[in-house]
Amino acid sequence: MAKYEPILLKNMLQPGYRGLLEEYRAVGGYTAFEKVLKEISPAEVIEIVKKSGLRGRGGAGFPTGLKWSFIPKDYPGPRYLCCNADESEPGTFKDRQLIERDPHQMLEGIGIACHAIGSHQAYIYIRGEFDLGAEIIQRALNEAYAAKYFGKNIFGTGFDLEVVLHRGAGAYICGEETALLESIEGKRGKPRTKPPFPAIHGLYQEPTVVNNVETLANLPYIINRGADWYAAIGTPKSTGTRVFCVGGHVKRPGNYEVPMGISLREMIYDIAGGIRGDKQLKAVIPGGASAPFLKPEHLDTPMDFEAIKEVGSMLGSGGVTVMDESVCIVWAATNLMEFFHHESCGKCTPCREGSAWILQILRRIEGGLGRPEDIDQLIMLCGRIEGKTVCAFGEAEVGPILSTIKHFREEYEQHIREKHCPFRPNAKLVMAH
Amino acid sequence: MSELIKLKINDKEIAVEKGTLLIEAAKLAGAEIPHFCYHPRLKPDANCRMCLVEIEKVPKLQTSCSTPATEGMVVRTDSKTVEEAQHGVMEFLLGNHPLDCPECDQGGECQLQDFGHQYSPQVGTFEETKRVFPKEYFGPLIEKEMNRCVSCLRCVRYCDEVIGAYALGSMNRGSHHEIGAFARQELECEYCGGCIQICPVGALTSRLSMYENRTWQLKKTETVCNYCGDGCSQTLEAVKDDLTRASSEMGTGRNGGDLCAKGFFGYGAVNHKARLSRPLIRTNEKELEVTWEWAFNKAVDGLESIKEKYGPQAIAGMISAHCTNEEIYLFQKLMREQIGTPHVDSSARYGYINAVAALNSVFGTARLVKYEDVVAADVLLVIGAALTESNPITGLKVKQALSKKGTQLITLDTASRQRETYISHLPNLATQHLQVRPESEGAAICGLMKAVIEAGASDTAPPALVDKVKKALTAISFQEVEAATGLSEADYRKAAKAYAGAKRGVMIVGRGVLRNKDGYQNMLRLAELALLSGQVGEEGAGILAMAMENNAFGAVEMGGVPEFSPGFQLNEGDKKGHTFPEMLEAAARGEIKALYLVGEDPFRSLPQKKVAEALQKVELLICQDLFPSQATAMAHIILPAASYAEKSGRFTNHEGEIQKVRMAIEPVGNAKPDWQIFSIITNKMKQKSDQPYSRLIGYDSPDAVWKEIVMSMPSTWSQGAGGDLSSATAAYADRAEISLSIKKPLDANGHFYLHVGQHLFHAGKLSTYSEGLLKLLDQEMVLIHPEDAETLGIEEGEVVSLSNGEGAAALELPVKLSKKLGRGTLFVPEHFGTAAKALLPLTIDATTQVPYGERGVVKLSKRSAG
Ligand SMILES: Cc1cc2nc3c(=O)[nH]c(=O)nc-3n(C[C@H](O)[C@H](O)[C@H](O)COP(=O)(O)O)c2cc1C
Ligand code: SF4
Ligand code: SF4
Ligand code: SF4
Ligand code: FES
Repeated sequence: MAKYEPILLKNMLQPGYRGLLEEYRAVGGYTAFEKVLKEISPAEVIEIVKKSGLRGRGGAGFPTGLKWSFIPKDYPGPRYLCCNADESEPGTFKDRQLIERDPHQMLEGIGIACHAIGSHQAYIYIRGEFDLGAEIIQRALNEAYAAKYFGKNIFGTGFDLEVVLHRGAGAYICGEETALLESIEGKRGKPRTKPPFPAIHGLYQEPTVVNNVETLANLPYIINRGADWYAAIGTPKSTGTRVFCVGGHVKRPGNYEVPMGISLREMIYDIAGGIRGDKQLKAVIPGGASAPFLKPEHLDTPMDFEAIKEVGSMLGSGGVTVMDESVCIVWAATNLMEFFHHESCGKCTPCREGSAWILQILRRIEGGLGRPEDIDQLIMLCGRIEGKTVCAFGEAEVGPILSTIKHFREEYEQHIREKHCPFRPNAKLVMAH
Repeated sequence: MSELIKLKINDKEIAVEKGTLLIEAAKLAGAEIPHFCYHPRLKPDANCRMCLVEIEKVPKLQTSCSTPATEGMVVRTDSKTVEEAQHGVMEFLLGNHPLDCPECDQGGECQLQDFGHQYSPQVGTFEETKRVFPKEYFGPLIEKEMNRCVSCLRCVRYCDEVIGAYALGSMNRGSHHEIGAFARQELECEYCGGCIQICPVGALTSRLSMYENRTWQLKKTETVCNYCGDGCSQTLEAVKDDLTRASSEMGTGRNGGDLCAKGFFGYGAVNHKARLSRPLIRTNEKELEVTWEWAFNKAVDGLESIKEKYGPQAIAGMISAHCTNEEIYLFQKLMREQIGTPHVDSSARYGYINAVAALNSVFGTARLVKYEDVVAADVLLVIGAALTESNPITGLKVKQALSKKGTQLITLDTASRQRETYISHLPNLATQHLQVRPESEGAAICGLMKAVIEAGASDTAPPALVDKVKKALTAISFQEVEAATGLSEADYRKAAKAYAGAKRGVMIVGRGVLRNKDGYQNMLRLAELALLSGQVGEEGAGILAMAMENNAFGAVEMGGVPEFSPGFQLNEGDKKGHTFPEMLEAAARGEIKALYLVGEDPFRSLPQKKVAEALQKVELLICQDLFPSQATAMAHIILPAASYAEKSGRFTNHEGEIQKVRMAIEPVGNAKPDWQIFSIITNKMKQKSDQPYSRLIGYDSPDAVWKEIVMSMPSTWSQGAGGDLSSATAAYADRAEISLSIKKPLDANGHFYLHVGQHLFHAGKLSTYSEGLLKLLDQEMVLIHPEDAETLGIEEGEVVSLSNGEGAAALELPVKLSKKLGRGTLFVPEHFGTAAKALLPLTIDATTQVPYGERGVVKLSKRSAG
């Protein structure tokens, strides 16, 4: 059926597969972990991962092997691995499925990563709302501990590893890696100023790697099937598959694992079945709420890190949100800004104050009280945020605004000119702070 | 050690120490960088984004408050890009700000005003609705106005990083972010005022001076706090003769700009309406207001006639250690030289004399270590000192030391390890806490000595001392020590190993030792312990004894005690007069006929009956004080004295640092500074003159007195710490007689062990005249451990009764639960009534005559129903 061979979703697509340890073991689970502990030195594991071309699936797409290699080699103190399972980016729901349906591949990935960076303590930071996911991970952890895959002297190699599940409490920002660290430390989740980076001063100020669920889940396969096999999938610079979360106005929303580099068009029209009601495509966000909007003219762009970047957006978290012609772009931008305003942690001035200011302007425009100078004001405010904040949330929140103005300026102007939303003429003005 | 690196800022080449933050480097290059969240006292947080600068080859602007300068860096703080970023941040900050400068107490000293003036765009573009926070009551002393907050978190970071109280935090997110206490409660913390001081804007201000003045109308005077012996530099701010604020400037003084609740909120005592403001004379049980001329004549005539009738020895004087060095010096000079009596003492007698006398005896000096040494220490041994309550700034220095990785803190106290949620408690931070049973400090010290000796004393310890201690220790077994203190041999060995193994070990000794049974002997033992451990005489190692009163050290040094003349010259034989308890005895016997009390109300410290007996017996009682008291009510002559804010002079803190006190306001009413009063009385007596007193002041200022003091000091007098101690310690070792024994463990018989002592928000009686501090605590209560309370079925707030079964009136007090108390102990603050003390036994130190009466066994009972 499937045109592309899934890697991460493969097990769970088997009828009856529930993600239990025995099932995972039956398909070769934990053999990669055993293999690295017994046969492959940490430095070699890092080399393999570098060679595979694996890049982070959490948002920034940073090369995973390279990130690991920043951990100081002869550091005498503890180092930590944190698995980022905070998945809160609107439009993104892949980690959730990976966790709920096949948790052990992520756990095995954690083991491999810990071996590579010499960590004996890992944390899984899971989004607070993921009740079921937390339960499933805990169950899987119990199974793995009982099978002695974690704990002391794993596989008799003398390697010790403790893995702890830590539940968040509902803040989007805790997915940002340094806020995540603060949160694990028991503090309010607020990003830290970088540098120093987590690889040098991370959790409890010790060297730390933060990796996304999907990133880690890839590791057992890279070890078992080789870096070359993995690197051959996708494009030369964006290797492997990605689980894209296709949502919005498509006929078949869902998680699809495809090699990187297939076109947006194929993703939307072929894999996700096209636009609901066969309406016209108006806009698409290719990588989660933080990614700038694209237009139909970008449909033939390959979905890899470089190509999407080239057309002014990013692959981000892999959440593909499709909007048909009935969507008001100003409303969509306002909606996203409501989210960002709500989730801005409030630590740094530009984001804290800017998000509220921008939101007020957007609400006015959408509510029919726009002023001609508002559009330039929005651009100016975005400029005062971008590149001046503590964390990348600043870039994230201005992306949707700047891109919608760039691609749909006329629609903003129409709102202002006609003093109402052309799509939602009865839209109520909400001005509460 | 520090490496210099070169960089360029705005084309100017400068060299700075490696690691210098760009914002500091820029200062050196003459460039001001606007900032809000940056504060040299705090770790960088880089949240306000006001300090962005351009660095060559770095794509984004960088925060100069968190970026260290590196070799060859090329930095611009004045480019168009930087200016645009600054405009952006300023406009963001001003957007939601209420701009209510005209009624803001920070106006005139506000960073938002200052930087806003210079770094804002000419025209604002914010045309939206401002976010408005509802008004919230934030406790009695701190005004919270969140609409003015710039969210720089300086307050929170100060509270966390410097104080360790963790009382403040962020609430809500985004533009709704505000500062508050947990769960929107009223603030409940140490009330050090640090958050107010460090807030760059008017978001946190003092309610004590709310809407009273504009900052630029205030006259600022830098002086020294007059509560405890920490000796904090304090800036008093006044309009005319009213004190309206107290603060301390960042980086100044021994405290580096940090204060405690007393220093920040306690200044109100000065302008209290109950102050004595005119001389009074008692005739036929009536108090009569008189002129100073009259009062001086009366006092001089009275003293002269007693001297004539009974001899100079019939006159005795007692002065408060709150007075300045100059005053204490003049007082003892008046007594010793002019009147000719050796009987002069000061309130150092209540315990601090134990420290100075013992340290002087062993080391020849009491100046052994400074705060810098506390901060640099790798092992701190804190004995019997509740620093957060008694000496908060010394406590801060200990916390500062702990921020260095690997610093060990050993505390020895009857307190438990637990802390109140938002108030720091050193045992809670300790690497090892030796929680001893009440009254077993002496035994615990023996345990430490034994452990040190058995592990091998330091080579630097005088051999004679080692021998003597070894011999004395043969009489002692660890079983006895364990039985008395409740701690195991292993505990002592561990602590002794850490302390003796320190590179720079600093011992801090507090009230638990100095003001309690065997204080002098225990202090000698601790001095010996330091010698045996090699923790004295070495760079950075030594002992710091805590003074409860701001000038206790100075009082002893200036000769305000019978055992020493100025400069610690030992008085022996006839030259050594009575200590204060002896004076009262002598008065009761009819030997002392005139008593001159300066700033001292003995009824507060000693048993009422004894004091009354003595005071009734004397023919002349002169009281010179700030406030009416039980003693002034019996005085024949009452002289109104000026407070520390109304005079100048010098205080010596417990490190031995001599610091200048400066006059902030004119004396209230007709009060006069003590030094003038002493000088006039001395001159009047000397010259037998009828001249108006104003011609007889003699010294034109305290500086003139100080000059005389310095000139008259013995050549051995040294103000510096350290020096070679070996000859002094060797001499001590030769003459020392050491015998050790363990007292039987105390048997409380199912009753409680009561401590009367200092509360965090008060110092002595004086603080209870301060409006601010009264808002934090205005009545006595009894503290009890929650588990003890539960066993007895007692709840917070319930009134219980304390008695001693020996006839003293039972005392009824409300209960407050406190986890930091040891089980089986109770605590009552000493600042209000004297009834709690009346329940406790009094013992007098055999050597120093220090009266010990703040601990003992009491019975606690629930009030019968109804
Ligand atoms: C505002 C913000 C939110 C983020 N949320 C997530 C998240 O929910 N999950 C995630 O894996 N990464 C998230 N990231 C990215 C992480 O900071 C980090 O880069 C990532 O976890 C690294 O893992 P990777 O290298 O495997 O991608 C977020 C980043 C930002 C700036
Ligand atoms: S950019 Fe926003 S989310 Fe990130 S630290 Fe600043 S205020 Fe917090
Ligand atoms: S209250 Fe003051 S110090 Fe605290 S965050 Fe606000 S502006 Fe900063
Ligand atoms: S009471 Fe002591 S610690 Fe507090 S401000 Fe005054 S001198 Fe400093
Ligand atoms: S002063 Fe540097 S970011 Fe606030």
